[in-house]
Amino acid sequence: MARRKAKVGAAQRLTGYGILALLGLIALGLFIQQSRFNPAVIVALRAPDKGRPQAAAGSAPTATAALIPEVAGFTPLVPVQGFGPDTLSDKIDGKAELYLSAGFKEMSCRSFGLGGSGGAHVEVLVYDMGSPPNAYAVFSGQRRSGFPSIALTANAYATANALFFTRGKFYVEIVADRAAGTLPKSLETYAAALLAKLPPEAEAQDPAALFPPEGLARDTVRRCAADAFGCEGLHDVLTGEYRLKAGKATAFVAVRHTPAQARAEARRYLDFLAANGYRKVQAPGAPADTPVFGLDNSFEMVFVQGRTLAGVHDATSIDATLELAAKLRTGLKGKP
Amino acid sequence: MPPKIKDAKPEAAELNRRDFLKRAGYASALALGACGLGLALYDPKGPIPVEDRKALNSLGNYALPGMAAGPGKMAIVRGTDRGLMVERGIKALGGIEAFIAKGDRVLIKVNAAFATPASLGATTHPETLAAVAGLCFKAGAAQVRVTDNPINNPGSSFEISGLADAARTAGAQLIMPQAARFTPLSLSGGRLLRHWPVMSGAFQGINKVLVVSPVKDHHHAGASMTLKNLYGFLGGRRNIFHQDINGIITELSQMLKPSLCVLDGTVSMMTNGPTGGSLSDLKETGTMVISTDPVAADAVGLELLGRTLAEVPYLQMAEKAGAGIADYHRLNPVVINGMA
Repeated sequence: MARRKAKVGAAQRLTGYGILALLGLIALGLFIQQSRFNPAVIVALRAPDKGRPQAAAGSAPTATAALIPEVAGFTPLVPVQGFGPDTLSDKIDGKAELYLSAGFKEMSCRSFGLGGSGGAHVEVLVYDMGSPPNAYAVFSGQRRSGFPSIALTANAYATANALFFTRGKFYVEIVADRAAGTLPKSLETYAAALLAKLPPEAEAQDPAALFPPEGLARDTVRRCAADAFGCEGLHDVLTGEYRLKAGKATAFVAVRHTPAQARAEARRYLDFLAANGYRKVQAPGAPADTPVFGLDNSFEMVFVQGRTLAGVHDATSIDATLELAAKLRTGLKGKP
Repeated sequence: MPPKIKDAKPEAAELNRRDFLKRAGYASALALGACGLGLALYDPKGPIPVEDRKALNSLGNYALPGMAAGPGKMAIVRGTDRGLMVERGIKALGGIEAFIAKGDRVLIKVNAAFATPASLGATTHPETLAAVAGLCFKAGAAQVRVTDNPINNPGSSFEISGLADAARTAGAQLIMPQAARFTPLSLSGGRLLRHWPVMSGAFQGINKVLVVSPVKDHHHAGASMTLKNLYGFLGGRRNIFHQDINGIITELSQMLKPSLCVLDGTVSMMTNGPTGGSLSDLKETGTMVISTDPVAADAVGLELLGRTLAEVPYLQMAEKAGAGIADYHRLNPVVINGMA
């Protein structure tokens, strides 16, 4: 016997589909919400019994350990310590986020006494960042202002008590606890011994090459590995600070795989600016397709050239914004 | 052969009572099944605590009874001599006797997080610890303990930072973070601190708690001062809390109410915190803050770092949670200028 099928009207069918769609949306919402675990849950599930798992930290074998040399005059105070992505914060606490977001692989460090009892305490830290751009990101992200580059490597500078440099995928810090007369020389001696253990530097691309040189403070060129300017998802952005006649401004450049990707990220950054209160401002001379956005006395401009996303960030005047944007556009012609 | 009837459909009919009841029955069974499954999976008690151990619900309230009502007390001392600044600041608040009585057993929480020399400013300065511990003994404290659960190796951190030597010289006892000193804590109303190991062993027999901290930039939290210093009472893989750094510091402000806070901004770490490394990361900010209110003390520290409350959200969150007052001016601080 054929099963009787109830007659369903169009309105009933529509209501039924509507309810099903609503249930589907609720299920999707629940799924998304559940996928973003509250840290409290993770914490509760992983709460350890013992107080100090950190006691074991630093004992992980690392390839970079072999790169820390013993140099005459530098007396090892402790064995070499090694840290991986899971334990880096046991060494440098909250600063670990900076390294992890830039592709950190592993780090080795060792403390030395220099000059006998009462002498300086020197710590050497060698980070394997996985690639030269990653190493440059952490080098430039912590760059101390007012200390010019030195010739030690392509990216190197010295402060009164420390040396900071990159070689290939490695980022190195050699830090003393004081600024003494002969100390810089000693640190350079150690750095030379360490560099002899590192692979020679391949022909590296100068990050500043993408920026027009006039007005650029070369030591301010940075690579932001993640969330540039606080904009979530805006990764791998080069920035450089300028002093112009019309004021100060920061130029930024991010080369993407395709023009479409560059355009999508430009839109995302403009949305981010709008969400933070930036509005279009009158800027005579600005190209029609690239308006200037302002908030208080800070101005921004964003454009896409080929597969390059570029722009001006935090300019102190509209004139500085336009001047730098024009220079940047000209400088990027013929580049990716 | 009979011809095939194309698209033969059963006879359509209006929804009758029988069909309606059937469908309502299916729907109800499905809904009940879903509710039953949810109920079966629901865990009203949450994760099970560590066996055979009773979880604490805080590390205690050591705020002085006489100062619990109304805004706390605060002294801001400008100068360069840490010992003198501590002494004058405490004197301005009624002297050390207002905080420490004869026979008191005092715990001093320092920031000994890193095995780096004091000159790099990543830890509590030993001169500040020496001054505070010395004053406690002067007031007749029966015992002074100094503690922290450092990020780096504890022995190395206390020794290299100079804090171990300062404690020993002052006659204070160092309390190291041995596993036996940790017990689980579930903060009352806490969202993050659930069955988490804390160094409660350092508090046995203690009736006063002083928190002595440096002023530092912090890459993740924005600033590390008094409240962030309380992180050092936590054990376990506490870096997991970095996912919600403002939330955990707010809970730390509820976990312990100290008797007195000493925030040392004589030299502040302005950049590249919390480890620093270069002397150029430091700046002489010439300020010592003595306060019964940890939130207010940190608000002064924030000014030394050139930051606003909006840039470091946990301070206002701690204020909302009742840990203190972020507008430190409301404490009518005693300001002492020009200490050498």
